[in-house]
Amino acid sequence: MPQNSQETKPKQSHKEEKHPSTRFAHSSEQTFARILDYYEIEWEYEPKTFPLEWDVEGNVVEAFAPDFYLPDQDLYIELTTLRPQLTTRKNRKIRRMHELYPDVHIKLFKRRDLHNLMVKYGLDQEAKQITGTQAQNRQA
Amino acid sequence: MNTEPGKVNQVLENDLSEILISSEQIKNRVNELGKAISQDYSGKTPLMIGVLKGVLIFMADLLRAISIPLEVDFMAVTSYSPETRARGVVRLIKDLEIPISGRDVLFVEDVVDTGLTLNYLLHTLKSQHPASLEVCVLFNKSKHRLIDIPLKYKGFDLPDRFVVGYGLDYREHYRNLPFVALLKPEIFQSGK
Repeated sequence: MPQNSQETKPKQSHKEEKHPSTRFAHSSEQTFARILDYYEIEWEYEPKTFPLEWDVEGNVVEAFAPDFYLPDQDLYIELTTLRPQLTTRKNRKIRRMHELYPDVHIKLFKRRDLHNLMVKYGLDQEAKQITGTQAQNRQA
Repeated sequence: MNTEPGKVNQVLENDLSEILISSEQIKNRVNELGKAISQDYSGKTPLMIGVLKGVLIFMADLLRAISIPLEVDFMAVTSYSPETRARGVVRLIKDLEIPISGRDVLFVEDVVDTGLTLNYLLHTLKSQHPASLEVCVLFNKSKHRLIDIPLKYKGFDLPDRFVVGYGLDYREHYRNLPFVALLKPEIFQSGK
């Protein structure tokens, strides 16, 4: 089953501060990594790509690479800053993930969740960026 | 909003939209937790440890609901914030005064959300080799849990909303409310 067909990329980082070469797709991911570093939580950035759909010849036509993996918790985390009405595609991917890889634990942090997390840590500027126009229009 | 008469200043009440857990409900649940702890630790002298500042009110009430001999200590750590993030990692700003090696430790928390702080503190305590280490939390917000931590004693499950009161703060305010209430969105959205 697809469980064994996951593509594994080289680990990009465990500590954002120690591995500044990690190129985050969005600034909210970098902030999230810094919070994990602060609490000394090991993480990897997009370490695996999970195939979700194949064509008749068996070629992968759709895949999903969750943003973070926390090895000690065996937990994948996907962050999205999209407006709720724009998250249909991402929600479908998460559902498909659950169907194909039921043993893989994944948690989705939506726009409001991320916003609340930033507010919780007093990161007002970062919270505003999440609800800003740029963040809302990006389809990750 | 219908708060408890004479207990809440109008200025504070104006910032709240709804009471989620009344002071009576909290009192009853804290008493239940105290009884359970008294039974489970019967014959022992547990060391109750809390992390400042949010746990202060819960700890004070919980201690008085426990009927067996116990000791109490506190610690304090920095939280991630614009001011502390430059230092890189959590910093202990108040260490324990009582040695915990060989002790039955009950770690008491007001609220668990992501579990990041609790996980860090439990690792720190485990390294000092207590005889046992369990967690008692009054408010559990599980939606954003990143670190799965066994909670032996749990008071209430809270929704993923901004709540204040009974030790829970927003920008250091509202801890003194005797109940748990929802904060009006305009308060935290404005960064007031």
